[in-house]
Amino acid sequence: MGKKVIVVDDAPIIRLMLKDILEYNGYEVLCECANGQEAVDQFKALQPDLMTLDIVMPEKDGIAALEEILSIDENAKIVMVTAVDQRESLMKAIRAGATDYIVKPFENDRVVSAVKKAFGEE
Amino acid sequence: MTEKKKIDRALKLIAGLSIDKSSQVLSKMIKMGASIEMRDVYMADISQLTANRTAEDEKEVVGAFIDLVGDAPFKFLFYVSADDSLVLTDLILRREVGTSKEFDLYSQSAVQEIGNILASAITNVFATDFQISMRPSPPVVVNDYASTIFQEYIMSAALERDEILIIETVFCVVQQDISCRMFILPMQESEKILNYIVSTM
Repeated sequence: MGKKVIVVDDAPIIRLMLKDILEYNGYEVLCECANGQEAVDQFKALQPDLMTLDIVMPEKDGIAALEEILSIDENAKIVMVTAVDQRESLMKAIRAGATDYIVKPFENDRVVSAVKKAFGEE
Repeated sequence: MTEKKKIDRALKLIAGLSIDKSSQVLSKMIKMGASIEMRDVYMADISQLTANRTAEDEKEVVGAFIDLVGDAPFKFLFYVSADDSLVLTDLILRREVGTSKEFDLYSQSAVQEIGNILASAITNVFATDFQISMRPSPPVVVNDYASTIFQEYIMSAALERDEILIIETVFCVVQQDISCRMFILPMQESEKILNYIVSTM
C-alpha cells in the first residue's frame, strides 16, 4: 500500500489532477477536501502521511489550516499549492512550517518531486 | 499630460504587464499557445455601459468574479461561453477535446481555476514590478448570460461612483476557436496607489 495523502483545494478540477498524478505514482489518496476546516477535520480523523494544501480557499484558508494542523502534529508533512508565485503567502507558509510548495499551473513532475522530497525519497 | 491621462497610462502599463504574465500562465495551464490582447482601456458612464452591450452579450457564459484585495483593490472578471468552457476543461485535464459533453462540476471548476490563476498573475505583477501587496479572493463562479454577468460586475462598483475605468481584454487559444474576456476594474481606493505609480514613471 502506498503512502497516504489528503488533497485539499477548493477547485474540484485541481483535486482531480492532483489525485490522478499521485495515484499514478503509487500514492493512496485517502480523501479530498474543499476548504481549510475540512482539511483540519480530515487530518485529525485520517492521519495521512502527507497533505497537499491550497492557500486561497473559502471559509478557512490554507495558511490558517497549516498552522492548526502543525499545532496538532508538528511533524506533519504539508506541501502548499498556490496560484502563480504568491511570494508573501509562500514565505508565510514556509515560516509556519510547510514542507514544500507547488505553484499552479503545475507540471506532473513537479508534484511528484515535491512529494518524494517530503518523504525523503529524492 | 493631465492627471487622468497619466493614470490611464499607468493602468495601460499594469494591464500590459498583467496580460503578458496571464498569457504565459494560461498557455502553461492548457499546454497550448494562448494570446491575450488588450481591447480597450476606457472611462465609462455606468448607466450607458450596461445599455450599450451587443448581441454577443446575450450568449450563455460561465464567469469567475474575483476581488483583488490589498493596497490597490481591483475587481476582476473572466468569462467564456458555456460551450468553450467544455473545451478548456478537456485542455486542462489533457483529454481529447470533445470528451466533456455537458457543463458539470469540472467545467465550472475549470473556469474557477483559470480565473484564479489569471487574477494571481495580475497580483504577482503588482508585487514584483511595483512592490504593491495584493492577493486574490476565492473566485465566485456564475453561469448566466454575458450581459447579466457583466451588469452584476459593473454594479458592484457602481455604489461608489457614476463613472468607472475598465480594462477590457480578449484572448484566443491557438488551434481552438475559443474566445474569452477578462475585465479589470480599479476601485476608488486604488487611485492613491495609481498616482504613486504615475509619479515613478
